[in-house]
Amino acid sequence: MSTEQQTFNPLREGLASKAMPDPCTLVIFGATGDLTHRKLVPALYNLAADGVLPPAISVVGFARRDKSDEIFRVELEEAARKFSRQGINDGLWNSFASSIHYHRSPFDNLDGYESLASRLDELDAARGTRGNRLFYLAASPDQFEVILENLRKSGLNEAKPGSWARVIVEKPFGTDLPSARRLNDLVEKAFDEAQTYRIDHYLGKETAQNIMVLRFANALFEAMWNSRYIDHVQITASEPLGVEGRAGYYDKSGALRDMVQNHLLQLLCLTAMEPPAGLDADSVRDEKVKVLRSLRPLVGKDVFKHVVRAQYGEGAINGKPVAAYRNELNVNPGSVTETYVALEVNVDNWRWAGVPFFIRVGKRLAKGGTEIAVHFKSVPPVLFRATGESIDDNVLVIRIQPDEGISLRMSAKMPGSSLRIEPVKMDFHYGTSFGKATPEAYERLLLDAMSGDPTLFARRDEVEEAWKFVDAIHTAWNTRSDDLAFHESGTWGPAEADELIKRHGGAWRRL
Amino acid sequence: MTSEMASEPGLPVEIGRIDKELGKLWEASDDTKTRASLINLVVYSEKEASLSSNTEVISAIAGKHACRAILIVANPTAKESGARAWISAHCRLQKLGQRQICSEQITFRLDGASAGALPNIVFSHLDSDLPLCMWWQEDFPEPLDEKLWAWVDRLIYDSSTWMHPKHQFLLMRHLSSSGAKGTVLCDLNWTRLHAWRFGLAGMFDHAEAFPRLNRVESLRVVCAPGQNTAALLLIGWFASRLGWTPLERADAFITPLGGRVSFKIEGKAGPHVSLFSVRCEDAHFELELKEGAGFFETTIHAPGIPESHQLLPAPNPKLEETLLAELSRSGRHPLYTQAIDIVLPLINR
Repeated sequence: MSTEQQTFNPLREGLASKAMPDPCTLVIFGATGDLTHRKLVPALYNLAADGVLPPAISVVGFARRDKSDEIFRVELEEAARKFSRQGINDGLWNSFASSIHYHRSPFDNLDGYESLASRLDELDAARGTRGNRLFYLAASPDQFEVILENLRKSGLNEAKPGSWARVIVEKPFGTDLPSARRLNDLVEKAFDEAQTYRIDHYLGKETAQNIMVLRFANALFEAMWNSRYIDHVQITASEPLGVEGRAGYYDKSGALRDMVQNHLLQLLCLTAMEPPAGLDADSVRDEKVKVLRSLRPLVGKDVFKHVVRAQYGEGAINGKPVAAYRNELNVNPGSVTETYVALEVNVDNWRWAGVPFFIRVGKRLAKGGTEIAVHFKSVPPVLFRATGESIDDNVLVIRIQPDEGISLRMSAKMPGSSLRIEPVKMDFHYGTSFGKATPEAYERLLLDAMSGDPTLFARRDEVEEAWKFVDAIHTAWNTRSDDLAFHESGTWGPAEADELIKRHGGAWRRL
Repeated sequence: MTSEMASEPGLPVEIGRIDKELGKLWEASDDTKTRASLINLVVYSEKEASLSSNTEVISAIAGKHACRAILIVANPTAKESGARAWISAHCRLQKLGQRQICSEQITFRLDGASAGALPNIVFSHLDSDLPLCMWWQEDFPEPLDEKLWAWVDRLIYDSSTWMHPKHQFLLMRHLSSSGAKGTVLCDLNWTRLHAWRFGLAGMFDHAEAFPRLNRVESLRVVCAPGQNTAALLLIGWFASRLGWTPLERADAFITPLGGRVSFKIEGKAGPHVSLFSVRCEDAHFELELKEGAGFFETTIHAPGIPESHQLLPAPNPKLEETLLAELSRSGRHPLYTQAIDIVLPLINR
């Protein structure tokens, strides 16, 4: 395995506030796919245009289709022009494109990997990429096994002395705990945990990263971040879109596996974790794993009490009629796959005893948005009782997307001779204060992987603990399906979900 | 300097009523405007003509880095003493149909003895609790008023405009080691060189290139006439990274291995720096920025390294972009002070 030793270039010292990416070759498996075109190559171009990539970078696309370097570059240029957050400068694109190459091979052909090894050696010599290799598994998950096996057989997983080899694994990390373990075992045969970067693009979002800053750089919040002051937390990820051509995958997966197991449990961890001992990757990830281990398991009958699953029916989005999930193309008309799920989750530790975390995620909801809302406890109803005024609870909202920002709802006296209390909102918008465009999540994550910083990537035990929690729910769901609720498209979900939170005395936030 | 402003830089207000008048300005605007501020940016100049150009720069940066801007135009030598103030706002539309985001600007004209009231003028009109960035557009006066500088979080200046760079660099070094050592020194001349340093470092990433840093024989820098300080800072950075020591009475350094490295600065119309060339016995590395080009060109001729010619992004040379780049960075600039130590003996030879 790699020795991860970096030859020291003294001119690099102090040039940037964070570690600079090393010269390296990025090999993308599944290079002709959507992810490469929509996300990875635009992200790489933006990094190059922002001047944060070292000149010695090569990108090699590995895929089955027959095409030349030139055709591959033309296709990627078209995609970059369409999906890049900043305009394409022809000169810079041409310079960047000269580092892009295409390697044609079926994933299951060992010869293709051996010829890739020779080609990478040639590129190292030509471009000074020093034998550093970053393999990105952007292919369909059912190809991961054969790719990893052939990387191992061809010796590409083994870094030369003074160089490194790393692998980025795209989600889903399995479809349940056994498959996740199998995948992790496969990865582990080829790469150490320290060389493995499991990508969850939510963690690359600026606002997700800001949760730790908000909590641990502000004494004001951290002092109140516990069951003494917090009544409950709501984590919402809603979207007005339907399955949009992903029906084949989605109908097997569902909202719980697609969103909760990874993205939303990661947000829950960042919200609930204890202050880490340091900002290094393992200190942060250790604390997140502790949260996952503290989740009260939802098993058997508890699942039907604390989890609501639902599917969208017909309805309207932005005034346009949309079909029910079961009538979408490539969806089984009798499907019981959930497109909406709401959960009441408890974190059984001292800090969070008695504070439920309500999580909801759904497609074809009224509005798109992802946020964490921390609802504080009510003030004692003593002082203002005589006035007849009702006082809204304080709510701190961390908006992950869109319109990233933070708001705090508090009560204020309305001007006038009588005592009238109204809720007011203090609002911080990233876009207002920081006018510059925030980098896309993939930019940050690619840069971190090249720099050897795994903090924003999921560790094996995180992934497996999350699956353990989610699998128990699926096990209960597999015993019956009469609990599946339905909601009209373009609404905020089923009445059963409203009941779930109402039992605690709350109501879902209207985004 | 004339005693009258060429045109009014906003709404004239009494200095004692600035906060009230600013409040009125926001009350008068409808609900489509939001005031935002990340920093206090104080700009000090003694040039009358700077007012409109500085207002343009603030207008350009306010859209990307919301601030309360305090613009001061001072004429300390004016016979008559006087202080006047104006308020204005810079607004930008976030997205079509959304509210406008606005930054405030307070402009002061300080004549004669009133220019001595600078600390009071600054302190009494800051947006509380926000960092204070002071952009000083003149040579620094002596003695330094440490009561003022001690409150400044980031001191911005441009050493390329200094009349007496050696003396000014010495003052800055004193400032960074004195009571105001909490102040971060931000030289825009250094900020402009960031992409140069990045590009040069990148050229030596190649495994065959890196060892040649120990065998450098000469450096050649081409810069615009009058931009020698920029060239020296770049050379100073390169030398400090490699542990070179300047030789007395010669444009050369001694390396830790005892080698001699000569350097040459040439003046040529064009970008502030247009070429940095590194020569070894058997290799040649060049980073070039042509007039009007948006990118650097790198050229490497070295055995073991295939002939390469690459383009790297170059910074936008506009002043507001340089200022924005500086405001967007955080932390101190230790490489800068190390570069100054190398540069000081080389200035005015």
